[in-house]
Amino acid sequence: MKLRILIADDHEVVRRGLCTLLQSHEGWEICGEATDGRTAVEKARQLKPDVIILDIGMPNLNGLAATRQLVQQDPLCKVIVLTITDSDQVIREALDAGARGFVLKSDAARDLVTAVEALQRNRMFFTPRVNDMVLNGFLGRGSNGSSHAPQLPQLTPREREVIQLLAEGKSSKEVASSLNLSTKTAETHRSNIMRKLGLHSIRDVVVYAVKNNIIQVQLPQLTITGDDPAAST
Amino acid sequence: MTIRILIADDHPVVRRGLKSLIGERAGWEVIAEAVDGEEAVEIADQLSPDVVVLDVTMPRMHGLEACRLIRQSLPNCEVLMVTQHDSPQMMREALLCGAKGYVVKSNAPRDLLAAVEAVSQHKNFVARAPETRGSN
Repeated sequence: MKLRILIADDHEVVRRGLCTLLQSHEGWEICGEATDGRTAVEKARQLKPDVIILDIGMPNLNGLAATRQLVQQDPLCKVIVLTITDSDQVIREALDAGARGFVLKSDAARDLVTAVEALQRNRMFFTPRVNDMVLNGFLGRGSNGSSHAPQLPQLTPREREVIQLLAEGKSSKEVASSLNLSTKTAETHRSNIMRKLGLHSIRDVVVYAVKNNIIQVQLPQLTITGDDPAAST
Repeated sequence: MTIRILIADDHPVVRRGLKSLIGERAGWEVIAEAVDGEEAVEIADQLSPDVVVLDVTMPRMHGLEACRLIRQSLPNCEVLMVTQHDSPQMMREALLCGAKGYVVKSNAPRDLLAAVEAVSQHKNFVARAPETRGSN
């Protein structure tokens, strides 16, 4: 019987790449694809895949929040998170959310097949850096040896969903629509979030969301070419 | 006549995805892949592709610098930047470096094939111009 894999990433180019990588492995099939975390959770409920591969930086509901919901839905589910960064916070959150695999996107071609094989055998797979952190007992203490309470747990799971949508540029009305809430409730969540975190504007919300990997961005590196445009063609 | 395409992106998964998208079109051939800007310039010099599909943020040599060098040494080779940066400033930089096209990865399924088609015919294709959209 084939191993059934659900893939979730908001970029079709990446999903195609993951599909060709994984489908070339005998005995594996891609049973579904999702473009955001919310759809991933819904498809997992319908399709009951053996392994779920989630990009962390997805709109609507990011991969970490989706992982939490998936694990809540089915504590035995096997989730691999894909991320562009392996910061301490992202690693900690992925493990706390219940992910059993953690793979850097830049190393996906090398590591993802191994990760899926590991989960297939009911083992876990993490990058070496994560292994070091777990071995050093980071779950009990921070990297500097002291206990570290990340800011994000101040927010409820619903508040985390709301802050992601706000950081993505959605209005309170759009947030309400996405989450099947009344606009008033969405606005209440927004006020609570800003009060709890000491934020005063949507710009603050975006900065907070980026700093805490609620949304992932890779900043462009701009160069000053100094060339005469006419000379370059 | 086959359009010969070089793909350059530091993420193997993305290269696979681009190759899969591009490979669907009859008459197009992905002749090589490069993992960074420096390799893209070297391979372009060796193989003289018709189109180079180039990521912006790559190690060793940035995509914009690679674009500039490729355009200098191979004036008949057109460069299509495919990037996650949905930035007008980045797009302007790319065009200043000689790129003929600029596509944002999140829109790749919709824009990539049309963009390759356009730049292979030496037409511009920018998917994020403030005043215009599409080829001209």
